Amino acid sequence: MTVIEKIFSRAANKKVKADDYVWVNLDLVAMRDFGGPNVVKEYKEHFGDAPVFDNKKVAITFDLHIPARDEKVAQNQQILRKFAKEHNIRLFDINTGVGQHILLENGLVKPWDVIIGTDSHMNLLGAVGAAGFGMGTTDIAAGLYRGKLWFKVPRTIKIIVDGILKYPLTAKDVALYILKNLSTSGALNRAIEFFGEAIMMMNLAERITLASMVTEMSGDIGFIEPDEPIFEFLRGHNVTDLEPIKSDNNIEYEKVYGFDISNLRPQIACPHSPDNVTNVSDVAGRKVDQVFIGSCTNGRFEDLKVVARILEGKRINNGVRLIIVPATMEVAMAAEQAGLYKIFLESGAVVVNPGCSLCTTGHPGILAPGEVMVSTSNRNFIGKLGKGTEVYLASPATAAATALRGVITSPMEL
Amino acid sequence: MDRLLSVRFRGTSWHFGDDIDTDQIYPGKYLPLTDKSEMAKHAMEGTDRGEEFIKNVKPGDIIVAGKNFGCGSSREHAAIAIHGAGISLIIAQSFARIFHRNCINTALPVLELKEANEIQDGDILEVNIETGEIKDITQNKIYKAEPISELEKEILNAGGLLQYLKFMQG
Ligand code: SF4
Repeated sequence: MTVIEKIFSRAANKKVKADDYVWVNLDLVAMRDFGGPNVVKEYKEHFGDAPVFDNKKVAITFDLHIPARDEKVAQNQQILRKFAKEHNIRLFDINTGVGQHILLENGLVKPWDVIIGTDSHMNLLGAVGAAGFGMGTTDIAAGLYRGKLWFKVPRTIKIIVDGILKYPLTAKDVALYILKNLSTSGALNRAIEFFGEAIMMMNLAERITLASMVTEMSGDIGFIEPDEPIFEFLRGHNVTDLEPIKSDNNIEYEKVYGFDISNLRPQIACPHSPDNVTNVSDVAGRKVDQVFIGSCTNGRFEDLKVVARILEGKRINNGVRLIIVPATMEVAMAAEQAGLYKIFLESGAVVVNPGCSLCTTGHPGILAPGEVMVSTSNRNFIGKLGKGTEVYLASPATAAATALRGVITSPMEL
Repeated sequence: MDRLLSVRFRGTSWHFGDDIDTDQIYPGKYLPLTDKSEMAKHAMEGTDRGEEFIKNVKPGDIIVAGKNFGCGSSREHAAIAIHGAGISLIIAQSFARIFHRNCINTALPVLELKEANEIQDGDILEVNIETGEIKDITQNKIYKAEPISELEKEILNAGGLLQYLKFMQG
């Protein structure tokens, strides 16, 4: 059985296989400041004051517009705070960070779990062997009420990545390279299992980067077999009863892709699609107005460390604005203790409170028409950061190198 | 329960291409609308034949589309608007996951058919979602789609996911 078949079989209390339709028990239902208020509305409309299925298995996270940027957002957050109180649900307020990471850091996620949430990148939880799914309002309301939801068991494709990942190459370059080859519909409605030397050596932050970009391949979820360092992280964050998870040997995958990254150069996704990928050197020299480092894809401590390594003792280019956003408060505190904030601030960066920040519009820092941004986030669809703007997606290393020079720069050039 | 779902459908096909995203199905500027009949007036508006569709779509008509229908943002408005405009069924080569869910959850049946692109715009179709048989009356051809699953049928029958859950035992 594949990983997803195993997880769904356990959660459905019966043996299931790819293409089956099945009711699955949920381990966690999460919602956020965006999307969450509509869930509450729909929940109340249909189920009134009925209690949620299990208040220990529900979490609310605020990460998109924090602190509230206008009255509407403030009201939305108020709706959720009230709902959380009424139902005695854990709420992570504006001083926490990106939802999925908050769930991970608070012992709410472990291998084998089935988790649904309102964000499109819930699937990054595949980095620890949990099945996370982004869902619409109705699905979340249903999950809240019954603690179960229907699924079509996805087929699985296998991706093997060989070679050794070393500085300044990062998991983001690998993810972009895979996207280039698979395209944005290459994993449509599929689960992915990642294998190979390059993958096995990845730390949690790198695995999260890769797993989060499965959404851009239109995949449901991407799994990486959790190893001892992953278990160690989870244990350190109050997770008990950890159980390994991996697929059986000798199963037939729907498709198998093999990549070798030994000679890979830093990659960049050009406007306006995440699969419009080329070598950074091919677009080097393009003038950039702003650089954003952060998001659920690249906002962890390890990401920030790479950035600090490049910025240390230097000033960013005069013509560029650099915005750095740690994924969570825990990451921010680690960065502060390691002296990263000092390096960032002295380099001329603006460091913002943890959250999703410039992953999407509506947050302070969006672009003026005609402006160009290099971002470590995961999407660069037309208009996502403002009308008539251009967004390039790259690794934290490429983003930092670009901030230093004010033009797109490969970190290999430094 | 809202309505009981029939398993047989007959309608005229409206042909659309690959990668029709939810912003084409239901443009973002109408997201604030909450009235279903108002929403229905903007179904497919962002596609290149939006105007023609809204003017001429008849109750029972069937959308036939290419790959990855309903990709992009997860707005449920897209499924609700299409349904409200009178579309009884969507046939596509493939659907984006969340859009597929949204359709079933709001009681609009969908079928996957590999050969969806062979069906011409305006063809009269007779479809049995239980067997997956699609008769193209105009072309005199028969296609076999994956039948709708039992689980989906139960949700459709109840009139949607939340209605279903209210009555679901256990
Ligand atoms: S950073 Fe972007 S994609 Fe990630 S959780 Fe936040 S809004 Fe979603």
